[in-house]
Amino acid sequence: MRRLVLAPAAAVALAVAGCSLGPANDDELVIGVKADQPGLGLLDARTKKYDGFDVAMAREIAKRLGYGPGRVVFRTTPSSVREAELKARNVDLIVASYSITPKRKTQVTFAGPYYVAHQDTLVRADDRSIGDVRDLAGKRICAVTGSNSWRRVTEERGIAARGVETPTYGKCMDRLDAGEIDAVSTDDLILAGLAAGRRARIVNAPFTDEKYGIGLPKGDLARCEAVNRALTEIYQDGTATRLLHRWFRDSGLNVTTHVPQFEGCS
Amino acid sequence: MTMTPVRPEQSAVRRRLTVRTVPGRIRTGVAVLLVLVGLLTVALAAAVGNARSGVQAIGHDAGPQVVVTGDLYFALSAMDAQVADILLTGRGAGRDAAARRYDQFRGQAGAAAVQAAQLAGDDPERLRTVREVLDGLGRYQRLAGEAMLLARQSGYAAGEPTREVVATYRRASDLMKIELLPKAYNVALDSGATVRQAYETRRSEVLSGRNWVLGTGALVLLALVAAQVYLARDFRRTLNPALALATVLALALTGAGFLMLSAQADDLREAKEGGFDSVLALSRARAISHSAFADQSRFLLDPGRADTYAQTYLDKSQTVLYVEPGEGEPGNLATYYKGLERIVDAYPRGTFLGFFGDEARLASPSVRARLAGVLTAYRDVQRDDRRIRDLVARGDRAEAVSLRMSRGTSGATARFDAYDRAVVALREAHAHRMRTAVRGGDDGLRGWEWIPPVAALAAAVLVLAGVRPRLAEFR
Repeated sequence: MRRLVLAPAAAVALAVAGCSLGPANDDELVIGVKADQPGLGLLDARTKKYDGFDVAMAREIAKRLGYGPGRVVFRTTPSSVREAELKARNVDLIVASYSITPKRKTQVTFAGPYYVAHQDTLVRADDRSIGDVRDLAGKRICAVTGSNSWRRVTEERGIAARGVETPTYGKCMDRLDAGEIDAVSTDDLILAGLAAGRRARIVNAPFTDEKYGIGLPKGDLARCEAVNRALTEIYQDGTATRLLHRWFRDSGLNVTTHVPQFEGCS
Repeated sequence: MTMTPVRPEQSAVRRRLTVRTVPGRIRTGVAVLLVLVGLLTVALAAAVGNARSGVQAIGHDAGPQVVVTGDLYFALSAMDAQVADILLTGRGAGRDAAARRYDQFRGQAGAAAVQAAQLAGDDPERLRTVREVLDGLGRYQRLAGEAMLLARQSGYAAGEPTREVVATYRRASDLMKIELLPKAYNVALDSGATVRQAYETRRSEVLSGRNWVLGTGALVLLALVAAQVYLARDFRRTLNPALALATVLALALTGAGFLMLSAQADDLREAKEGGFDSVLALSRARAISHSAFADQSRFLLDPGRADTYAQTYLDKSQTVLYVEPGEGEPGNLATYYKGLERIVDAYPRGTFLGFFGDEARLASPSVRARLAGVLTAYRDVQRDDRRIRDLVARGDRAEAVSLRMSRGTSGATARFDAYDRAVVALREAHAHRMRTAVRGGDDGLRGWEWIPPVAALAAAVLVLAGVRPRLAEFR
């Protein structure tokens, strides 16, 4: 009798003990950002610090996910390796002017967008001949190697602008100054960063919506939903307005300070 | 017993555990039995509580919130589309019909906003967002009213709004697009997230609760059989009827509990995956479609922003049903129309992305037939869009406006309505599945708030009744 009743009691005790919690939370949050995008994500070669709107946004999100400054690690994540870095779980989040597209959504879970950028046009400050994208007909625009932005003008919109092959956006600015090209057409936030400190003007005639999302490893829905809640807070408490003004006020760009329409975690 | 000497405190413990007298053993056995019955009751009650929370979240709280906020988004989009239509028509035909529709959608939006505020309950962030939508709705109506008044005063021909009208409409429409719609949409998504979380945690807790019920139930049965054997052997009785009855009761409780929890887990899955997921996806598809349809109107109304509205129309269409441009082709409306024809012709063969793509992947045969209808109707809407843009490109704005505004069966508005009805019917089919599963869950739980404690009490009484005569032998 004694053995018979004590054995099951021991079994219950074992079962209770076996029902432990899952593994402890990660100590730090690794966030992929850009290192060469002025105004968005730029690595200071001297101080080794990242700065820009994307980086500041990433810090705010991390803070609201419970990761203070000491527990956030930034990692340079160029456009070509973003999906691979997420898949390999080398980064937890990517905040790097990463546009949400239906195709990318098959490989990446996107929180946000944290901002909807728009393709716009940058011209020399004294050029009054270009008011919107249609005015680019017959003009020379910067065709950056590996970037699709200029094709959105020539191919998607069918506007007869001439693309001038140029290796980087930084070089586009030099050419614009020198009068070798007439305009640079890409996301307004990128243009704002490029225009800083130069005699150039954004025409403020946006013609696309570029949803800048926060990339997460595919299927990380719980964190994706938490990021969306953090973004709602960041916009509701005025942090987003402060960051947007800090980074883009001087560029003459009209920024939107209302929370964007989220994509939905999937 | 052991090689090492027994320390005094250890032997004291052992003395307490090693009950030497027969009544003492019986009392210990009874105590253990009652504890086990208590554990079974607790396991059952906890699992029932989890099942109830799951059904509550999906069927009664966040689930309906998703539908209401989805409807809010749709009504807001539709309002803005009607304002664009009214302004586009000027003094032309169709203005009164558009005005009636505007009033209808305005009423729907107001009602949905109030309902969303009620359903937001005690979530402060969500409630704040809904309030902001309500405030914005007031401002929007003022601006829209101003634009419509200006239009009436200037009395222009269809498709030729004055600059002032367009400028006022831009302010209204930007308010809608930048402030109101995103907030309504985000509340719907956030409620969707609540449903997903409730589903995942509650369902896995119901399943682990089911295992606990099985485990504790087995222990109770084992202990009861052991007690029966002990009494039969040591007291030379054949069968203790009270204990036998308690055994049957414990067996019934464990079995019924296990089956009920299995059914709950199935109901939760059916409600979420068979119903809710598609209801959310189709609500979003409907909302985005109305928003795209409004962009078509804005494209006609505001030539200064025609490029932007054409692009956002394409982006929204791509969200609803994604078309991959062919090799070397640009991603624009021309390639979208072409790719869409290909996909709809091939359906149900082939896979595609976007809301309808998700629906197609999950579809059962009956859903597939309905979805085929939705896709055909969607293609008709896109064919109209192509015709409208072709007319504008050829400089025939008046004809484009008349095609857009015509409410006859060949008009773009009528065909969009047919498409909308098809989407709503498909969504309703899923909503019906969801409601049935939720009702199944509710019905299955009926009585389970009192069954475990009452059954446990009865079992305890039976156990005590069963051993009482044996204990009496020692008095």
